[in-house]
Amino acid sequence: MAGIGFELRKLTRRDDLLGVLQGTAHSALASTGPWLFTIVALAGIVLIGSNFVSREESFTFQLIVIYNFAFSLVMSAPVVLLITRLLADSIYVKQVERAPALFLFSLIVLFASQLLLVAPFYLLYVDLDAGARLAAMANFFLVTGVWVASVFLTALKDYRSVSASFAVGVTASLIGCAFLASRANVTGMLLGFNIGLAIIVFALAARIFAEYPYPVTGPLRWRMNAGRYWELALGGFIYNLAIWIDKWVMWLAPERKVLPSGMVSYPDYDSGMFLAYLSIVPAMAVFVFGVETDFFEKYLRFYREIQRHASYEAIRKYHGAIIRSLLRSMRNLSVLQGSICMVTILLAPMIFDLLGLSFTQIGIFRFGVLGALFHVLFLFTTIILSYFDLRRAALLLQLVFLSTNALFTWWSLQMGFAWYGYGYLLAAVVTFAVALLAAVHFIGRLPYQTFVRTNLSVQGR
Amino acid sequence: MTDRMNPTTDVCLILEGTYPHVSGGVSTWTHDLIRAQADLSFHLVTISPLHAELREQYQIPPNVTGMTRVRVQGLPQGARCTKKHLGIFHRLEGPLSRMLSRGGMQDLAAIIEALGPARGQMGSRVLLNSIPAWNMLLDMYHSAYRQSSFLDYFWTWRALLGGLYSMLLPELPPARVYHAVSTGYAGVFAARAALESGRPALLTEHGIYTNERRIEISMADWLYELPSRHLAVDGSRQNLKDLWIRTFVGYSRACYEACSRIITLYEGNQAFQLEDGAPSEKLQVIPNGIDFERFSKICREGARRSPSVALIGRVVPIKDVKTFIRACSILREMIPDVTAWILGPTDEDEDYFRECRILVQHLSLEKTVEFAGRVRLDEYLGRVDAIALTSISEAQPLVILEAGAAGIPAVATDVGACREMIHGRRSESPRLGEGGVVTELSNPTATATGLARLLGDRAFYEKCSRAIRERTRRYYNKHDLDRTYREIYESHRRCPTAPAMGTDKTWPGSALNCAS
Repeated sequence: MAGIGFELRKLTRRDDLLGVLQGTAHSALASTGPWLFTIVALAGIVLIGSNFVSREESFTFQLIVIYNFAFSLVMSAPVVLLITRLLADSIYVKQVERAPALFLFSLIVLFASQLLLVAPFYLLYVDLDAGARLAAMANFFLVTGVWVASVFLTALKDYRSVSASFAVGVTASLIGCAFLASRANVTGMLLGFNIGLAIIVFALAARIFAEYPYPVTGPLRWRMNAGRYWELALGGFIYNLAIWIDKWVMWLAPERKVLPSGMVSYPDYDSGMFLAYLSIVPAMAVFVFGVETDFFEKYLRFYREIQRHASYEAIRKYHGAIIRSLLRSMRNLSVLQGSICMVTILLAPMIFDLLGLSFTQIGIFRFGVLGALFHVLFLFTTIILSYFDLRRAALLLQLVFLSTNALFTWWSLQMGFAWYGYGYLLAAVVTFAVALLAAVHFIGRLPYQTFVRTNLSVQGR
Repeated sequence: MTDRMNPTTDVCLILEGTYPHVSGGVSTWTHDLIRAQADLSFHLVTISPLHAELREQYQIPPNVTGMTRVRVQGLPQGARCTKKHLGIFHRLEGPLSRMLSRGGMQDLAAIIEALGPARGQMGSRVLLNSIPAWNMLLDMYHSAYRQSSFLDYFWTWRALLGGLYSMLLPELPPARVYHAVSTGYAGVFAARAALESGRPALLTEHGIYTNERRIEISMADWLYELPSRHLAVDGSRQNLKDLWIRTFVGYSRACYEACSRIITLYEGNQAFQLEDGAPSEKLQVIPNGIDFERFSKICREGARRSPSVALIGRVVPIKDVKTFIRACSILREMIPDVTAWILGPTDEDEDYFRECRILVQHLSLEKTVEFAGRVRLDEYLGRVDAIALTSISEAQPLVILEAGAAGIPAVATDVGACREMIHGRRSESPRLGEGGVVTELSNPTATATGLARLLGDRAFYEKCSRAIRERTRRYYNKHDLDRTYREIYESHRRCPTAPAMGTDKTWPGSALNCAS
């Protein structure tokens, strides 16, 4: 008998719709954590520091911490995003034996690579005394350690113990700073701050080794599928670069400050922005905790029911539930964050007065608060897109934000002091609009997207 | 490029899952056909599964001038979907839906028409993965399968359409005659060739393709095996299996309608062909033949030995060797000194072979039954008095003819062409009489009784021996059958080219068939 035997077995068994999605989604969510930490830590330092602004020493300390957070975050981002995904994948297949090894390995890789930049910077370029140089470097690596450790803990979804470690550590740091700011020199303040960070890093590390009690065994051969992960690494880098690019552009402003140590900054812009970011902390908390329960449940059901042979009718129903959940979350967030934003902008003079902040920052602060509103909405939208494995779209959005943020900030710099902060706001609004269009486009046709566009079996990736 | 209207290649053979990459009965037939028509040039279209490794199992004869490899579901990515493709789906949906329910040549023609002249640039991007394709999928799903598992329907739809498109998109090799060696995908390709080129197409169907598919699909539990919670899933799975079968029936019908001749090996197949929509006036039987000269020369050994019977075939379940062994046990009761050989390779299904040997031991037949393995048939045929065939499925087993040419009658189950070869075709004239015994399936007593009658009744034996030898000489001589094919090829080669699709607005699909 001529004829081809059935080859359908392969066709119908290729049901890899769901598995790959969760990891990606998780990476996107996990990237909000470090930003949150940065906001709290830097805003805290700025607030404390603003009372001692006259002291050159305290200012140098502030700037070292800002530098360390900024550059450590951007430089660690590719590796951090990569291990987030690797870890999520190994949790998905229930093979976490190598998690401790991954932890140590990524720390070594990051420390080694960053040492190449950090050492020349603090040992050769910046003019500080020897103790401060070493303390600054230690601070940098502790910050990097925090990024890596938090990856492993967010993967555990053990938000409580993570939050506790951070709360204790940050409080210790800030108290240490406040106590030392008026009396100690740069080295002393850095040491105080480092103690707080060290508490966080070691508490988290202890938690990690308790959770993954496996021996660290080499050799560390991780099956890295470069083709699949480069987007992730690049995405992480661009995302964090985009957050910082407006500050770095503003460091070129005529009003910038060059410290005797050789470090450059524009303190009014930086602190205005860090304080503005504080206003989105409630929204982030609502998103991280609220979305995880409501949206994620609908999201999982959509994919699970497809695999359980739902009819298209039913799939449409679950699709509708996802959209309704998203609209609901978006509405709640907008209302919440919108009101906070309005109140903050209106009460800005009172807030500044109360905290004893410099009023030169108030315009930047107001633009910053409004910009942060759109920034955070845009961020949530890209996270949602990542849930649906729309990595390219998410990456593209990050690129849009990076370029608009750089471009518009540079433009506002040309326009003069009154416009400072407006570039960031404009970039956030534009990117959010694009993100919203992308979300409507992709999520509106989710079944097609799921079955055809992001289906590995169809696309043959 | 070769002139479309006046191609130089004589015959384009369309081969699905067989020659030259797979060895087997149909492949051997194809190889012999090409060699027998040494002065005709052949082009081969080989259709194979998407990921199958292709290695040629035969020395390709020199009169094969070209080969086109087609992979089922092997679509190129093709151009990106743009606005200009939208119209395609409007025109495509109707005929496609019909093709997947009760299709035929007119639907296939409409599909080809809808794909349009630019179909060479299209591929999976436009036809399977685009938004318009998705919307068409939803329409087709909603029209008849709204209760079914969408995941299952999705993959079924892709597999069916991908398979169909993969037959329609490749460039058609020019030839004077197209000849498909099965229906199914090969049949679709042949129908398409006839429609597009206006040249005649022939079909030789060995086994009935749709029957094989029916069995395969109904037994394929793995087809839709994932656990399910949703209502009516079992029913809907049955629906989807029916969709597969109806589609293959549609492919067969399209092929039957487009081909000028529908040839099969024996009359028994024609009932199925008619049922699947083959026009009766096109039907023709051309059996497989054997080298009568060679087998008729075999010298029979004299009577000074014990009576012997043989089953000639591979030791595999489909040959039902166990029934033969049981028959031998019964036969020994009647003829104690009988010898029974099983002539054929035993290594194809080791488990089954082991079970057969255990059965021989259980029945204490060690002295009667012998597994001789792969042998030179000519040597054994001289010593065999009657052959037995207990298969539960066959097309046209040549052993009956090979033994028949040597004057050895057969006892065979009523499968495939066995009855026709032993009793003669309905149209046989003059009637040559019975050349052995036809039995029920899996009935050892009937097989044993038949063999005992042949071995015990001298007059009956002689009558059968003469009849089977004469029938083989008259109707199953390969030399004559090669000439029949030669004549068919010749007459169709010379056929004028019918108006092809797209060249004439008033294209009459029915005017295709070459009046020969």
